[in-house]
Amino acid sequence: MSIAANRRSPLLQTFLGAFLILWLMVAAFPFLWTLWGSFKVEGDFFSKADWSNAIFGTLTEVETGAPFTLDGYYGAWVQEEFWRAALNTLIVVVSVVVISLTFGTLGGYALSRSPYRYAFWLLIIALMFRAMPPITLVSGYLLPFFQWNLWGHLPTTIIVLVAINQPFTLWMLTAFFRNIPKDLDESAMVDGCSQFQAFRHVIIPVMWPGVITTGLFSFLLAYNDFAVTAMLLSKENQTMVPKIASFLGTTQTKGNVMFAVASVVSVTAPLFVLVLFFQRQIVSGLTAGAVKG
Amino acid sequence: MAEIHLRNVSKRWGSFVGVKSFDLEIADAEFLVLLGPSGCGKTTTMRMIAGLEDLTEGEIRIGDKVVNDLTPKDRDVAMVFQSYGLYPTMTVYENIRFPLKVRKVPQVQHDEMVMRAAEMVELTDFLHRKPAALSGGQRQRVALARAIVRKPTVFLMDEPLSNLDAKLRVSTRAQIKNLHHELRTTTIYVTHDQIEAMTLADRVVVMNKGEVQQVGTPIDIYDNPANTFVAGFIGSPAMNLMEGTMTGGVFEGRNVRIPGFDGVRDGAVIVGFRAEDAALAETGEIAAPVYSMELLGDSSMATVQAGGTLVAIKAAKDFSAEIGAPVAASVPAAICHLFDPATGLRIAKGAA
Amino acid sequence: MKHKTFLWFVLPSGVAMFLFIALPIVSVLIQSVYAPHEQVVIEVENCGPFGCTKATSIDQAATAALREAEPLGRFVGDDIYTNRNHLAFAEIATLWAGAESLGMFWSQLLNLPFYGALAFTLTYTFVVTPGAIILGFLIALSVNAIPRVFRGPTIFFSLLPMIVTPLIGALILFWMIDARGILGTALQAIAGDPTLSVKASTPLTWIMLMVYGIWSSAPFAFVVYYAGLQTVPQDTLESAMIDGASRWERIRYVVLPHLLPLTTFMALIKIMDNFRVFEPIVSFNAAAHAQSLSYFIYSDLGGETRLLSSAAATSVLTILGVAILLSPVLVRTWKSFGKA
Repeated sequence: MSIAANRRSPLLQTFLGAFLILWLMVAAFPFLWTLWGSFKVEGDFFSKADWSNAIFGTLTEVETGAPFTLDGYYGAWVQEEFWRAALNTLIVVVSVVVISLTFGTLGGYALSRSPYRYAFWLLIIALMFRAMPPITLVSGYLLPFFQWNLWGHLPTTIIVLVAINQPFTLWMLTAFFRNIPKDLDESAMVDGCSQFQAFRHVIIPVMWPGVITTGLFSFLLAYNDFAVTAMLLSKENQTMVPKIASFLGTTQTKGNVMFAVASVVSVTAPLFVLVLFFQRQIVSGLTAGAVKG
Repeated sequence: MAEIHLRNVSKRWGSFVGVKSFDLEIADAEFLVLLGPSGCGKTTTMRMIAGLEDLTEGEIRIGDKVVNDLTPKDRDVAMVFQSYGLYPTMTVYENIRFPLKVRKVPQVQHDEMVMRAAEMVELTDFLHRKPAALSGGQRQRVALARAIVRKPTVFLMDEPLSNLDAKLRVSTRAQIKNLHHELRTTTIYVTHDQIEAMTLADRVVVMNKGEVQQVGTPIDIYDNPANTFVAGFIGSPAMNLMEGTMTGGVFEGRNVRIPGFDGVRDGAVIVGFRAEDAALAETGEIAAPVYSMELLGDSSMATVQAGGTLVAIKAAKDFSAEIGAPVAASVPAAICHLFDPATGLRIAKGAA
Repeated sequence: MKHKTFLWFVLPSGVAMFLFIALPIVSVLIQSVYAPHEQVVIEVENCGPFGCTKATSIDQAATAALREAEPLGRFVGDDIYTNRNHLAFAEIATLWAGAESLGMFWSQLLNLPFYGALAFTLTYTFVVTPGAIILGFLIALSVNAIPRVFRGPTIFFSLLPMIVTPLIGALILFWMIDARGILGTALQAIAGDPTLSVKASTPLTWIMLMVYGIWSSAPFAFVVYYAGLQTVPQDTLESAMIDGASRWERIRYVVLPHLLPLTTFMALIKIMDNFRVFEPIVSFNAAAHAQSLSYFIYSDLGGETRLLSSAAATSVLTILGVAILLSPVLVRTWKSFGKA
């Protein structure tokens, strides 16, 4: 696109370049720093004396005999049984994504095909629900969940996260289904399908790009949630994020911070991989609603 | 047997009227064209027949069955969509076979039926391609094959040629005409292109703003347009419609004076004539300077300002005149059509 | 689509939202007007050889029975809303009467827990939202100016602050800003004050939280603006050039109007998200200096004494706040839909 309309002055070009490098440092440096530091001992990670200790691991070498150590990871995963939390997260996230998408594709498809006003108002109500801070809903759950003995279990948390996920999922999938030409399911219905058969035979095969993008965001919501998982899960059912928060409560014990650092890196790693592989879908998903207005 | 009866069929969205009390009987094996500008309700009418749109009022019968509450699959119709609606994940063969599969036609017959349909539209070489690998014309033929494969009682076609280029449109038009002759299936065809309507239809329904303007054979609507809308919509160029007043059987407007309308009552009136019915002459009913000259190939078209509008008159292809030069045209009362300027309706000549 | 078919398709999603979003809203409304039962106290007269003494003791059985019979507690009307921890009408009246200046009244008002949380939440929302949008816009302009090959990796790194779990992103920054962390040490060196601690200072904590907010939400604005810049109509841009518009005028009259609807959309989403700010306060362990409405509810819900009624009242007030923030959008939708 080196056409005349986009030409910039060299000064502006330099300024924008410098700004961008600054931003990239701000965006990426904290992650790299923490990743590097997670293989050190606490004295190096928080090195008051000399910041270069954090890079070269001086104290780590003194304490463990090598510039890198896996003590933090061992402590978190084995000693504190972080693997249990990881397993719980896996169960919660997979279930939430699968159920959200199942509900969402059905609902989003119907909303995209209904010409009636109530479909529009349903979307507006969903938008209002989307605006509710999850913690306000949590305070509505606790009493009935205690009363009916639903509190603390994974399935309860899963269905709650699915519900909180629904408004967003519906909006996104409705937008995707609107881009699939109506002609497709209408010809299927004239060809002899019921509405559901048309959905199954003709729409499902072509909907995957939209479903994958929406699924990514459902995944992020479930994976990143703290408000719901922290309040609704009992200690033995904790997922990773509230587990890390509970490490923080006991930071005074030496070495415990490094457990938290190691688990923070462990939680962030899958997200890195996710962005690496699905960058395009994430970008298109973020802009899907916006660019169309 | 598949006559279609539409009785008082209406479609409204809130206060917006899509189709207004549509009444029509369509005979078995008839080729009916719904013609009109975009937004006139022709596609809505067809979609109501297909069952893709609910009726607000009225009744639709196919054969002797009222189909108002039937889903599309239970109406035994086939439809060709404007953008074809091909299933992108299936091959051409699977696309054509799909109606047989979902309607539970016995497996053993599928292959034969698909092959026969594919042969009729000359698609046998492309059966294993996906729609994305086909040209526009080929996709259009897949849609046709998918419609004819199971011999429905009614064909519905929604502007099936509008996405094709001009040349393909002519040949595919001929193919559709031929298919209809061969299959003798009742066909309803929606278009905004009056040439398609003229060439294909047994009968044409002209619609505007949700209302039926005229129903008739192509010749009928061409020769006897029921109102100014039909007159101005049908024909290429459309009928010239001049405004003026009638006094004692003589029509007068700017640059025009036509005598000979005996028995027509006095007052404001619209006089219409077709460009090819008039002729340039030494002296005539219209006398005006040339506004523009266009060479069409087999003839040329002279345009002059008369009766408050631009009027086209057909001339020989070797005729030429400078813009601004005076010309005259003979427009005898016999070739003229009269319309009421208030209602737009046709006024019978010779009636009082 | 037929009404009945529509209903079946929407049913699972609708039921989930009804049960776990609509009903909980009703549930907080109800909880907010009930308070837990007080313990049933009985007076027992112990008569011994030295006369009789009256002693009060808790009737455990009666208390349990009462709680069993009325699990919601006793009806208290708007008591919880007006108490010191929420709208604090009585306290405000006293403050107003006793305050010598408006400034003093104001600072004392912000010491009331609910008003403090509200003030922080609103400040956070209305600093972070425009901040993130402006930063995101600048990043988008910069990325648009670099050669295509560099754009992929740049976008990758730019997405990270947004994608990462909020609690964790905030923790990572918190460790760096810790007095012993690299940024904290750097700040001490710059300020020349070896005892400087961000954690210990209210203004610095506020600033830190908002820096985190901008850091984590700028990527969203960047991505949306970047996509918007790709779709700026080139024809209009070129015809503006031919018409003699300068570079600035082209941005002013073509690019910015094109991006305006995106900005509205983004502001709406970001206001909704920032209003619920919560995790960074947990990560920064900042509750002593800054509380948001969400954190206020969280701290009521957690801990030994689950103050459900108090949390419910704050929730209702928070939901009202969301409704007020959203009302311009709703009114606009209502109007435009009325026209259609």
